[in-house]
Amino acid sequence: MRSNPPTGVPQLLGRPYKYLRLEWNSELSLLRVRTFVKPIQCYSLAGLAEMQRVLDDITANPGLVRHLVLTSDVTGVFNFGGDLALFVLLVRAQDFDSLRLYGRRCVDLVWWMENAAQRGVHTTVLVQGDTLGGGLESVLPFHKVIFERSAQAGFPEVLFNLFPGMGAWNFTIRKAGFAIANEMILSGTLYTADQLYRRGLVDMVVNDGEGEAALDQAIRTVDPRLRGTLAALQAQRFAAPIPYDSLLSIVDQWAETAMGLTNRDLRLMERLARAQARKAGGADEGAVEELKKLELDTAWGEERTGITAWGDLH
Amino acid sequence: MGGSGGMEEVVWAAQDHSRAETGGETALRAESSPMQQMPLFAEVVARTDEARRAFETHPALLDAMAHGIPVERYRALLLELYHVVWHFNPVCAAAASRIPDAQRQIRYFLYEHVHEESGHEQWVMNDLEAVGVAPAVTTAHVPSPFTQALNGYNYWSADRRHPCSVLGMLYALEVIASVYGGPFSAAVKEALLLEGERGISFLGSHATMDAKHMAELRLVLNTLHDEAAREAIVDSALVNFHHFTRIIEVV
Repeated sequence: MRSNPPTGVPQLLGRPYKYLRLEWNSELSLLRVRTFVKPIQCYSLAGLAEMQRVLDDITANPGLVRHLVLTSDVTGVFNFGGDLALFVLLVRAQDFDSLRLYGRRCVDLVWWMENAAQRGVHTTVLVQGDTLGGGLESVLPFHKVIFERSAQAGFPEVLFNLFPGMGAWNFTIRKAGFAIANEMILSGTLYTADQLYRRGLVDMVVNDGEGEAALDQAIRTVDPRLRGTLAALQAQRFAAPIPYDSLLSIVDQWAETAMGLTNRDLRLMERLARAQARKAGGADEGAVEELKKLELDTAWGEERTGITAWGDLH
Repeated sequence: MGGSGGMEEVVWAAQDHSRAETGGETALRAESSPMQQMPLFAEVVARTDEARRAFETHPALLDAMAHGIPVERYRALLLELYHVVWHFNPVCAAAASRIPDAQRQIRYFLYEHVHEESGHEQWVMNDLEAVGVAPAVTTAHVPSPFTQALNGYNYWSADRRHPCSVLGMLYALEVIASVYGGPFSAAVKEALLLEGERGISFLGSHATMDAKHMAELRLVLNTLHDEAAREAIVDSALVNFHHFTRIIEVV
């Protein structure tokens, strides 16, 4: 006789994930998802599929998960964003449909986060390393965004004539306003955690090593007033709605733009992919350092580079 | 804007989690009627995505991308590559001769491809000469068991599995050339202080040339709807990625 498929916590935790580690805290009804897309921590097709499966399982068990927490198990990297080698492959093959599909799968994830409060789920993300492009886009829809101080983030896509197409505009405008969205997306600048906090994109910045404690405190603070908080967050979404159709239209435009990338643009993308691979191979320098070398340093507001066009903003 | 190359409009969905395994295939899944197929190129990309990533993230390749490789290893790699390239056209020809008339578009595609690739083994030989390997040494070289396995599999698959499987070989080799060939040849050039295209003409030129081939391959793959052919192509791409990864690993 066939046994019924598991439901509830066994269903959530019983999947054979390759790139995710799941932890369950029954006291808080908290599901923690630790990502480790080896060896390059990015949104690969398989990584996307696994994340979507987790979210589908939460949806299939309404009321089970009250808190969803996302963290990275890769030291120094939260997420490098899109799978650049896959982009290069699809652009060279002029495969518009697959690129658009990839973008839509990413939008499905951010859209789930956008509607998490309606599902009775409060979402928190702890960023302890660099997060670029799609990695930053995936962070913005979370209800609570915590960064450790050394983490850096930005939208570098404009450096290779693309733009972040999976929610960056919508979520940055809503959280930080139009001018900041323009500044961030059109400059390709990398930002420190403190700079992101000052721009309203990050809710809390803590010293390195203090992220776990901040995470615990944030969740224990919201838990006793969860129903009210979730209702308020739903109302917040009504007050400043992000239409799904808008996200899809932007993805379509993103895929169309990608189709027009030149060999130079693709070479830059490959250079970043190579830097990601280098870091995965154990090198100290990775994509962030490579970005800093892309001859566009003057556009960056980094105190540590010594190029401080943004210095006046501090 | 990049179009779909005449292929039918497909509605995509991510909600089908009926399969136990995880992978890119689940992320790139076609929905609607069971009769409607995902375009084959997208299916090959999705179902071989982890094999591609296993290749690109193999420590040997990561190290080569980061630091280049010593000249001895580059010579060893080119020697293996020579024997892959040398057998490329015969494999394509063997497949073309077996392809049924109903799939003649594949046969014509292979004719064109064989024509374009003719003589490219000489480019590898020239690169080998540039890094100090005489032509006689190149032709006398006995390839590694992994290269022999790669070539042997491709002949067998064209002969006994399905002649269209050759498109899986093309896919894997063109992905390797067009996506990774450029950065790899740049790393080698930098590490070995090579001048111009000397010593990297094969890798460097195929990085650009195979981009055009990739677009052509997508169009021709999307004309195939025969299930046996589609499965053989996916399997062939997986095996080629696997063997090529081993080849890189041992040089």
